[in-house]
Parts: sequence; C-alpha cells; structure tokens
Amino acid sequence: MDKSRAGWLKEARASADTMVMLANLGRAVLKRFDDFMYAMGFFAQVMKESVLLFRRRQVGFHVLVMQILFTGVEALGITAAMALSIGAAINIIGSSLLSEFGQGKLMYTVLIVVIAKELGPLLTAFIVIARSGTAIATELGGMAVSHELEAYVAVGINPISYLAAPRFLGVVSSLVILYLYFNIFGLLGSFVVVQLLRPISFSEYSRNLIAALAPGDLFSGLLKSLVFGIIISVVSLYRGFDVERSSTEVPVAGIKAVGSSFMLCIFADVIMTAVQYLR
Amino acid sequence: MAQTSETPEAPEIELRGLRTVRGNFEVLREIDLSLAKGETLFIMGSAGSGKSVLVKTAAGIALPTAGEVLYRGKSFARMGEREEAAFRKSSGFVFQEAALWANQTLYDNLALPARLHRPDWGKAELDRAVRRAAELVGYDQDLYVRPVELSLGERKLIGLARAFVLDPELLFMDDPTSDLDEGSASRVIDLVAALKERGRSILVTSALSDFASRCADRIAVLRGGKLAAVGAYDEAVAWTDPALRAVTGRLKPRIRAEKPAWADSLAGAWASALAEDFVPEESNAEPWKKSEDAERPIGSLGDIINDVTDPDEEPDSGKKDEP
Repeated sequence: MDKSRAGWLKEARASADTMVMLANLGRAVLKRFDDFMYAMGFFAQVMKESVLLFRRRQVGFHVLVMQILFTGVEALGITAAMALSIGAAINIIGSSLLSEFGQGKLMYTVLIVVIAKELGPLLTAFIVIARSGTAIATELGGMAVSHELEAYVAVGINPISYLAAPRFLGVVSSLVILYLYFNIFGLLGSFVVVQLLRPISFSEYSRNLIAALAPGDLFSGLLKSLVFGIIISVVSLYRGFDVERSSTEVPVAGIKAVGSSFMLCIFADVIMTAVQYLR
Repeated sequence: MAQTSETPEAPEIELRGLRTVRGNFEVLREIDLSLAKGETLFIMGSAGSGKSVLVKTAAGIALPTAGEVLYRGKSFARMGEREEAAFRKSSGFVFQEAALWANQTLYDNLALPARLHRPDWGKAELDRAVRRAAELVGYDQDLYVRPVELSLGERKLIGLARAFVLDPELLFMDDPTSDLDEGSASRVIDLVAALKERGRSILVTSALSDFASRCADRIAVLRGGKLAAVGAYDEAVAWTDPALRAVTGRLKPRIRAEKPAWADSLAGAWASALAEDFVPEESNAEPWKKSEDAERPIGSLGDIINDVTDPDEEPDSGKKDEP
C-alpha cells in the first residue's frame, strides 16, 4: 500500500514538473515572440521615419552628417590599412598557390571574388560593428538612463525621427562608401605586391581586373553592404533604445549590439551567397 | 468612453483607470485624477510611491499599461501628429534629474523647443526667449557650456528654464526643488507661485510641505502606486489619518492676508481674537478659482521675472560700483 502511494506521489510530482516545464517553455516562447514582434515594429518605425526624414521640420541633418563623418570618414584609415594588407596577402598567397597549378591568370578572378564579393562587405561590416555599432548602442543607452530620450519626447521631438533615422541612414550610406573604399585599397594593395613580384603597368593590371570582373560581382558586394548596414544600424539602435533605467544596462547593450550584429551579418551573408551560387 | 473632441469644460489633464506595470511590479494602479484649468495640483508621496511615473504618464512621456490620459478631453492614444505637437508646444516638463542633452550647449538645450515649435521666431527673438528663461530661474552664467560643466543644482535650473522657454500654459514638474540650494529652491517656489497666479495649470510632485503650503490648490497623496487621498488644500490641512500626515507633513493653514502693523499691539490681540471666530464661507470652496486680481490675462515671462525678482534687490546692482 505504501509502495503504491509512493509511486503515485512520484508520478504526480513528475507530471507536475512536466507541466511547470511546459508552462515555462510556453512563457519563454511567448516572450521571444513578443520581443520579435516589438523588434519588427521598431524596424518598421525606423524605416518609415527614414523615408519621412527629409519631409519633416525636425530633421536631424546635423545628426546625419555627424554619423556619416564618424562611421564613413573616420573609419577610412583603418579600412584602408586593412584592405591594403588583405589585398597584398591575397596576392602573395594566391600567386604562389595558383602558379603551382599553372593557373596564375586566375589571380585576378580570385581577387575580385574575395575582395569585392566576400571580404569587402563582411570586413567593412565588422569594422562598422566594432566602431559605430557599439557607439550607437551605448550612446543611446546612456541617453535613456539620463532621461534625455524622455526630454526629447517632452519637447515634442520623436526620438526615432530625430535620433534613429539619421543614424540609420548614416550607417547604411557609410557602409556602402566604406565598401567602395575597401575595394579600391584592397586592389591597390594587391597592385603593390604585383609590382614587387612581377612588375606590370597599372593599365595592364586594371585591364586584367576588369576582364575578370563580372557585372554581378560589384552588385553582389553592394547589396551585401546595404543589407549589413541595415542590420547593424537597426540592431544597434534597438539595443540602445532597449536600455531602461540602470547604467549597468549600457555596456550590456553595447555587447548585445555587437554580438547580434555579428551573428545576423554572417547569417545574412551565408544566405545571400547560397542564393547567388546555388540557384 | 473617451470623448473625441475638445470640450470647453474638459479638464486640462484627466487620468482614467491608469495602471502601469514595470516588470513584475505594479507601479501605478486604479488612478483616476484630473487637473482643472488654472489649477495647481500637488502629488505627494513617499519615495517609490510612483509620483514620477504618474507625472510622466500624465504628460504623455510614459505609456500606461492600462487606462488612458486625456488632454482637454482627447485621449493621447487617439491624438494625431499635429494635435500632439500643439500639446507639446503649450506644455512644459521639468525632470527631477534635469535631463539636459549632454551633447548640446546650455543655449541649445534651451533653444531647441523654440526652434521646433516657433520656426517663425527670428534669431533675436529666440535669443531673447532663451535668455529670459535663464533669467527667470536665476541662472546668470555662461550659456555656451555643456551641461557636464555644471553642478547638479545648476543643471536643474537649466532644466526648469527649458520648460519655460515657450511660456507654456500647462506645466508638469517632477520634484522641481530637489537638488537645489535653499535660495534657488525658494526662487523656484516663488516662480511656481507667480505662474499659478497667472492662471497656468500645474501638476507638481514634491515632498516639500512648505512648497505645497504656498502653491497647492489641491493635494493628492500616492501610496504604493494607489491614490490614498485627494482633496482641496484646506481639506488636506485637516487630514487626521497618520499615514496621510506622514506624507503631507507640516501643511500650514493658508495665510490669507498680510499681518497689519498694529497686529502685535493690544488692539491687535483683541482684533485677532475676534477674527478667529470668523471664517469666510467661501474660503474652502474651490480654492483654485482665482480672485478678481487673478482673472487678468496670463502674463508674459517678462511679468513673471518682475514678480519673482526680489523687489529690494537693485536691478543693476552689478553696475553700481562702476565709475
């Protein structure tokens, strides 16, 4: 009798645990869904305000100019250094490997594929995540903690319109510009190495590059830059606005902005590359 | 059901069935409160009772979880962009933490609301409004510095000035005297009294009973996110509940006239003994209704500066020593 009672109790406990676990799981899924819907709403709002930006009186042109200056212009140095060294490295490694198989001419195709289609958009996105993504998330987070965002609302300024939309446009346009910089400096770095290994004229080098360049290559890189720019800016803005009260939330917002942007950019890159090559 | 059009008898601000939840904590619950035109309503309560959330919700800065906030009979939730802009133009908000924009100079902090809502103002007009607002709160230092270079009290003064730049009809003030030195706090109290005299509608949170004694028409006590009591000032003075007294503190019965010069004499003692037995009937009735003197049109910021400035102080005392 005692044995059966103990067994019944055990079963009841197990079933109660399962119910609690399912309830917790359900709550977690619902919260995720809520967060996702909120993020989608935020994204739609940022897009709408970005479209309306130039029609509004309270246009944050100054914010837009400052964002382009910080994200696009001030990042030129590090982008150029990275592109030059990567262009040079690709050429050194590629020319020694490809010439072993008698495919030295493929060097230009490799350069275009790696710099213009893959590394260019991805590395410039990483630079922007590290510099501007964290800056946007922590700056907005700090403003939320010090009630500056509420002060904008109090005087009748929509923070999405005044703070988010110019940053969104600034980051997206800067990323596209940085991608073009990266291509130019990456191919220049490669040219420097070519001069050291097997000197050729710049016009011949350019001719070979143009011959290897398919029309879709540049478009593919530009599209990726555009998508990465949208991801980085929206994620960073969302994380910044998500800060509520405590100053300890601010660095967390920065970390989350970087982590989420990295993951989403890589995920988007894989999808776009797969769509391009597997169709 | 919310009214959808502006009605003349509608209160300036009305809170209906307000409830605010933050995380698992119910900050405000079952709040029904209104602010009549020209009224000064004090929200009092201990720390953490939900005063700041209440005043921010009333100003449409914080969103309630349930219930609604109406401005002149129209719900914030149903306001169009233009209506909201009109509301923001005619209202000012003073934050407890000053909430100045750190990346802008004090001048730009003060000028931004005007740049947004008064694009018709020229540079000179804007400059005059900014300097007048700074003068109003007694700030006479450099306006071209960033907020980080100021003390908390000075930042608070600029935060107050920002709310006054457009000379709003409706003011929300979240503990406007906190972090201020005695002189500045007293100036702010004078300022609120002057604004009240000019018919502004003011919603204030404060823990200072002296401030309430000077300016309040009505007092609402918030306890644990719920309205514990609401009453006209004279009723609040008579509250006997110890929990309410603990919040309202030393509210003093209103002094309605200046003490005459002969008051301390023997004749004065006799006169005041007689006066104690006589309380005018209308003294407790709708105290926010203004006297004839207060019926005059809403004055400008310039008039308010004159009222708040100490009459004994020489206007140009700084220049007196100059040869």
